[in-house]
Amino acid sequence: MLKIEHLTKTYGEKKAVDDLSLHIQPGEIYGFIGHNGAGKTTTIKAVCGILRYDSGEITVNGISMKENPLACKSAIAYIPDNPDLYEFMTGIGYLNFVGDIFGVSAEKRQEKIRKYAAEFELTADLAQPISAYSHGMKQKLAVIAALIHDPKLIIMDEPFVGLDPKASHLLKGLMREKCDEGAAIFFSTHVLEVAEKLCDKVAIIKNGRLIKSGTMEDVKGDTSLENVFLELEDAQ
Amino acid sequence: MIRALFKKQMMEVFSWIFYDRKAGKTRSKKGIIGYVILYLALFAFLGVIFFSFATMLCEPLAEAGFAWLYFALMGLLAVALGVFGGVFNTFASLYLAKDNDLLLSMPIPPAKILAARLSGVYAIGLLYELIVMIPALIVYFIHVRVGILGILFTLLIPLVLSVFVLTLSCILGWVVAIVSTRLKNKNIITVILSLVFLAGYYYLYSQAYAVIGKILANPDGIAESVRSIFYPFYHMGLAAGGNALSMLIFTAIIGALFCIVYLVLSKSFLRIATENRGTAKTKYKEKAVKSKSVSGALLHKELRRFLSSPIYMLNCGLGIILMPIAAIALLIKGNDLLEMLSGMFEGLENVIPLLAAAAICIIASMNDLTAPSVSLEGKNLWIVQSLPVTARQALTAKLKLHLILTIVPAAILTLCVEIVLKPSVVLGILIPVAVLAFILMGACLGLLANLKMPNLKWANETVPVKQSMAVTIALFGGWIIVLALGGLYFLCRSFLSPTLYLLVVSVLLWVVALVLLRRVMTKGAAVFESL
Repeated sequence: MLKIEHLTKTYGEKKAVDDLSLHIQPGEIYGFIGHNGAGKTTTIKAVCGILRYDSGEITVNGISMKENPLACKSAIAYIPDNPDLYEFMTGIGYLNFVGDIFGVSAEKRQEKIRKYAAEFELTADLAQPISAYSHGMKQKLAVIAALIHDPKLIIMDEPFVGLDPKASHLLKGLMREKCDEGAAIFFSTHVLEVAEKLCDKVAIIKNGRLIKSGTMEDVKGDTSLENVFLELEDAQ
Repeated sequence: MIRALFKKQMMEVFSWIFYDRKAGKTRSKKGIIGYVILYLALFAFLGVIFFSFATMLCEPLAEAGFAWLYFALMGLLAVALGVFGGVFNTFASLYLAKDNDLLLSMPIPPAKILAARLSGVYAIGLLYELIVMIPALIVYFIHVRVGILGILFTLLIPLVLSVFVLTLSCILGWVVAIVSTRLKNKNIITVILSLVFLAGYYYLYSQAYAVIGKILANPDGIAESVRSIFYPFYHMGLAAGGNALSMLIFTAIIGALFCIVYLVLSKSFLRIATENRGTAKTKYKEKAVKSKSVSGALLHKELRRFLSSPIYMLNCGLGIILMPIAAIALLIKGNDLLEMLSGMFEGLENVIPLLAAAAICIIASMNDLTAPSVSLEGKNLWIVQSLPVTARQALTAKLKLHLILTIVPAAILTLCVEIVLKPSVVLGILIPVAVLAFILMGACLGLLANLKMPNLKWANETVPVKQSMAVTIALFGGWIIVLALGGLYFLCRSFLSPTLYLLVVSVLLWVVALVLLRRVMTKGAAVFESL
């Protein structure tokens, strides 16, 4: 589903991402962990086509992000770490905007909005301007907007930040549901317990370089993901 | 404790001198000095205007024995300006202060927090009030002989008067707070009120000399009105002449009014400060969805952004209102204007259609919607960049909005111009052709300028809209081009008829516009992708 091959991105002198390679298969929840400034958000933004990269290749379903970004983006949904949405729109206005861009039919869109807004308890607030939303409400709206077009690949940067426990639980369930339907999820998090319970595979990045990746069992072995992460952080 | 609070409030009120919000850092010493000089120059400029008003009023009123009326009238003017400057500050300081929770969590009595907040409003009110009162006092001392008590009182009066400004600001600030929570189409209403205020301001300014004339023609009647309607100001005028009892009455009335407002405010402050006002909640009702195309959705998004921001509408879309107003004015007063122009350009009447085309272009230049449109994406840029839309589509939506909102009113104005001028068929075709090219060129110029100098890291949208080089270039660039083309005509008029000149200019404008459009779609799109 998603192939990242030898991805390198430099900011001035600093290599934010250095020769990173990852493969994410359909049906997988892939966790991406690392310290602050390790290069997680840079990688995620490059994968979503927001950020241009210096070298390497990113393909989504075999389509190159460099050569055909629109086809790649059509298959992706991105949820950023900070949901800065259009504050001049209402919640429903934003969802319809995203639906229009992805060409989601009116019936299908309405059905999805009805379902997810009810699940995230956001229905009553959909007519409100986004400027009146709390951080958590914006995050919920960003999640609903991401699910509206049935993406094949969902990319999330710290998706649980700002969500209340109920919404957080719901999102975890939806992530698994989507993967069971054949989608793939690639997400970054600092909450290692969540990653350990939720992810099929995990990648650990430090100073832009991949230091460990594989199935959760392979990476953590008999110990916890937290222990592995801390040992790797100290060791290198 | 109270000293620390006052210090914090003053730092907050005058932070614009020391802190550059655009750059997000403290100004250098040179920067602070430069900024202070700039504002002093601005205050001096306004002061000179009020000085001239004061000079016109003071001498004749003082000679007629109405020196107190002069002082009272200038005081009223100072209060009007002080309240105008202070009311929005009051609203923000009292009702929207971001540190209320922080201060209320500390061991500070709410009344002291309120007092500190009001001190900031007082300072701003005083600042505005002094723009009128300093020149008023200078003129007063020049034309009226005052004793020691008079000098003392005239120096104290602005300080007491500012308490009245504070009282009125508090009341009006409360009204603004109430109204703002109940209005639904706040943005449109803000724009309409701003335009009404602007029109009112220009009307009053144009009528100022007539008002002064009326005052000077009938000082007795005006004095009687002031005495009965603005009683404290009557005593303020008398106090300026050294009347201690009047000073006492004036101070007591102002003090009493303030005490009442302060008592009411201090009782309700805690509730006001902690209440989550929010906005009138609209309940969501599911409606049938009408799907839009990608370009339709992007255009709609741009329109929503425009309509949601009074600052954007007022600074970059004034032409939308001005062009129809000019069209109506032309239909009503067109023949008078034509007569006046024919008189001015006797023997050169065939230049008038060129002037009309230039005038339409100048007003159309007041629409600069594309100029801040890239910067306005700000923190939301990731949305367009992560969605399956090309940079060309995103930029086309920005251009389309500018063109639609400019071409429609420009077409109305052009039609009215042609009804009044009745130009030849060729000129009748060339005028809209040239105007259309100019509008397209302006839209592309603004967009390219913004792509060259984008500012995506703003906290307040006044920065990309009002403090933007792209907007300056789009606005003044358009005017400069029109002036340059006007100058060029006078150089070419010996060998080019107005019709032929307009044809050449139209071709030239279309060539430039299309080159710029191509630039937007190629280089501009690449820049947008890399932002």
